[in-house]
Amino acid sequence: MAMAALRREGRRLAPLISPRTITAVRSSPLYPTLEDEGPLGVRHISTQVVRNRMKSVKNIQKITKAMKMVAASKLRAIQTKTENSRGLWQPFTALLGDLPSADVKKNVVVTISSDKGLCGGINSTSVKISKGLHKLNSATGPEKETKYVILGEKAKAQLVRDSKKDIELIITELQKNPLNYTQVSVLADEILKNVEYDALRIVFNKFQSVVSFVPTVSTVLSTEIVEREAESGGKLGDLDSYEVEGGETKGEILQNLAEFQFSCTMFNAVLENACSEQGARMSAMDSSSRNAGDMLDRLTLTYNRTRQASITTELIEIISGASALEG
Amino acid sequence: MTLNLCILTPNRILWDSEVKEIILSTNSRKIGVFSNHAPIAATIDIGILRIRLNDQWLTMALMGGFAKIDNNEITILVNDAEKGSDIDPQEAHQALEIAEANLRKAEGKRQTIEANLALRQARTRVEAINAIS
Repeated sequence: MAMAALRREGRRLAPLISPRTITAVRSSPLYPTLEDEGPLGVRHISTQVVRNRMKSVKNIQKITKAMKMVAASKLRAIQTKTENSRGLWQPFTALLGDLPSADVKKNVVVTISSDKGLCGGINSTSVKISKGLHKLNSATGPEKETKYVILGEKAKAQLVRDSKKDIELIITELQKNPLNYTQVSVLADEILKNVEYDALRIVFNKFQSVVSFVPTVSTVLSTEIVEREAESGGKLGDLDSYEVEGGETKGEILQNLAEFQFSCTMFNAVLENACSEQGARMSAMDSSSRNAGDMLDRLTLTYNRTRQASITTELIEIISGASALEG
Repeated sequence: MTLNLCILTPNRILWDSEVKEIILSTNSRKIGVFSNHAPIAATIDIGILRIRLNDQWLTMALMGGFAKIDNNEITILVNDAEKGSDIDPQEAHQALEIAEANLRKAEGKRQTIEANLALRQARTRVEAINAIS
């Protein structure tokens, strides 16, 4: 009861002392709203509030660190597959060429993106390039049309907003089962069946290294365009020098070849994009946990200052109360 | 003049070294390829590929794809391939029996086609083992 009396006395003097401590904390730009009426009736920052904030930031740091490790292990698994699949589409390019500049009427842009977020900017770059291709093609002539085939939720969300009428096919949840060639070839089959095309342009992020992902466009031409380009000479001119074996007509064989090329290129593109996604997620989660660490340091400083200020305030109250009683 | 053979599947590179001669079964017939062959682009059916290194013959089971022969470089791209020595004889025979049973049970066009395909693949694998021994 005596302590309570001392405290009551101290309260009259406290407003003279505490403004200094309060302004010190208020100058910290992050916490203008942490001031409140504590249970003692003295104006001071509540340590409870800062402690809660620290707890949540620490949790965020733990989660992002765990996500980074998960992404790293997934990356390792998929990276070997990707490197093995790279050898497959190179002979096609050697034989049929990769002609991004081929002049065609019906372009189909196949945009490959991820289903889950928190992976940095790779999906935005893919969508930007797809939109750029669309604009490029429509700018060169009125009868040219460009359609989209979208793989992955993130691109779907972005492209559905402004290009809804140009979308032919949307495929999501590609990575539910581990990626394998059979699944992708079935997908490629679906696309070839349902979409009319003269040229297919596959947009994806090529995995150069854990920190570098390059947006790339692979072009697969339909058989008629291949014949046309072969006749006009140039890179595809030596296609005719090959004698074709296989029991069917040359046209049918070229058709089979083009379909096989498309599914191989798709397989490689999907794997590379998955690798890039995991790599981008790793670096995004890494910078996120580092930021959380920084924030935690700042909060710890604030917490200590708050704690010391409240202890000082209480001491001053008690001492001044005691001296008031004496004197 | 050595012939360089490269066998690629979507999952891995199966072979990448020099050989003396290969016998390839395309959709229409079997062709033998030596060095300095004329350029050819061929489709490969589900069947066996025989490779000769010096005096030894090796067999591989291929599950359909393409071959490009050009300038002493043979590139074979297939959906799947297995070396004859890697196939377990027991398991291959069992797979053949299961495939035959499935074919007899199959109803409807799609199941019959799938069963036929599985049967040809199983048969090729059994042939690959037998061809060595």
